[in-house]
Amino acid sequence: MINNVLSNLFSKPATRNFPAKTREIAENVRGSVEFNTENCVYCGACALKCPANAIEVDRPAKKVTFDLYKCVACACCAEACRKGCIQMAKQYAHPSYRKMDVVFQGAPLLTDENGET
Amino acid sequence: MSNRTVIPFGPQHPVLPEPIQLKLELQDETVVSAVPHIGYVHRGIEKAAERMEYTQNVFLVERVCGICSFIHALCYCQGIEQLQNIEAPPRAKYLRVIWSELHRLHSHHLWLGLFADAFGYESLFMQFWRNREMLMDIFDKTAGSRVIISTCAIGGTRRDISDAHLQEILDTLDEVNKQLDKSIPVILNDYSVRKRTVGIGKITREQALELGAAGPVLRANGVAQDMRQLGYAAYGELGFEPVTENDGDCYARAKVRARECYQSVDLVRKAIRQLPDGEILTKPKGRPKGRVISRVEQPRGELLYFLAADGTNRLDRLRIRTPTFANVPPLVAMLPGCELADVPVIVLSIDPCISCTER
Ligand code: SF4
Ligand code: SF4
Repeated sequence: MINNVLSNLFSKPATRNFPAKTREIAENVRGSVEFNTENCVYCGACALKCPANAIEVDRPAKKVTFDLYKCVACACCAEACRKGCIQMAKQYAHPSYRKMDVVFQGAPLLTDENGET
Repeated sequence: MSNRTVIPFGPQHPVLPEPIQLKLELQDETVVSAVPHIGYVHRGIEKAAERMEYTQNVFLVERVCGICSFIHALCYCQGIEQLQNIEAPPRAKYLRVIWSELHRLHSHHLWLGLFADAFGYESLFMQFWRNREMLMDIFDKTAGSRVIISTCAIGGTRRDISDAHLQEILDTLDEVNKQLDKSIPVILNDYSVRKRTVGIGKITREQALELGAAGPVLRANGVAQDMRQLGYAAYGELGFEPVTENDGDCYARAKVRARECYQSVDLVRKAIRQLPDGEILTKPKGRPKGRVISRVEQPRGELLYFLAADGTNRLDRLRIRTPTFANVPPLVAMLPGCELADVPVIVLSIDPCISCTER
């Protein structure tokens, strides 16, 4: 036990000097969901697979609503999307003051001048 | 006049982070009887599992326990695989063993730390938890998440472990083994630790069997019963032998877990050495139909899932019995006759995980 005490006494702290030094994010981390709605065809496959019901796809309105605080970062939606619209970003979801703030709205209604989709 | 008092121990208690309440009847400082109350963190997971699709349930059941999340998913997936008549490919089976054993290893580290904390040995607690951090980093690297690793899937695993990561696991295990060599003797040989654990919270082999103890509590009484003997996943090919001790007290339970740490290290090494190449996922076909009981060994003991399905994409019933639930009656038998100051040590010696018990 004495060896242990001495080595701990003279070694660096086991903790990290956060926030000056942050933790390295692993290579293939399932960090947070990132939508790239350009290619989205509003098929709803992601919403169907999501175990947390965090995604709602409104096909007629061409709208994807994503609730960050329901998401459990399982990456099922990213696997389900054939269009590659969903990626798991290499960062953890940012905190926010209000839950309302992070309801993510996907591509806005695409309309031409006559108001037709 | 009787000088008996009743003291509520928990659900909020400085030494026990688990929400169980024990109503302790005391004669002076000696416990006469204990009545457990559970139900403070019921989450309704079993009911939720009937509403979700059976494929989505994998992610739900992982959340029964944050410490052995992978093993819960494994138990569920093996049940569904049995119902669908599919088998995971050999590589997936070995990967399952690797992740299961790493979970057991980190769970036992967590427990050894908390146990040291229960008798006031905080620096030892820090030592174990610092070692545990290395294992959490492995999960982060191989699975992309530290706690709920979500790598088990029906029919195999969702992720593979690359050769570089396998080597990294082996290197980390060498370091973990080295650190264990330093810390475990303190738990097992230190005078004050022995004073607090030897002969404390003793039950007999007959009691343990009769009250249905599971896992290390049972094995500390000399009963060599471990679900890994069933040979699920790749355990059948790894020459697994359960660890047993004979005294049935807190010290024996600590010793079983300490030895299981080394055993887990060996099993992971062996599994990596024998890891076959190939596929990691068999595509499931059809929908589950029928009834099945699936059992695996969790760090705390035998985990049992009962699944009933009728061929739709939702389950009729999912019943989960966690090992802590099985270990509550033995705990109530351990307490009478002990000192009030020993109660935290005894309660921790069954490695309670009350949140899983209440699901
Ligand atoms: S994100 Fe992908 S899966 Fe979801 S609706 Fe759009 S195209 Fe379909
Ligand atoms: S990562 Fe999982 S929980 Fe989050 S939105 Fe995608 S499927 Fe749903």
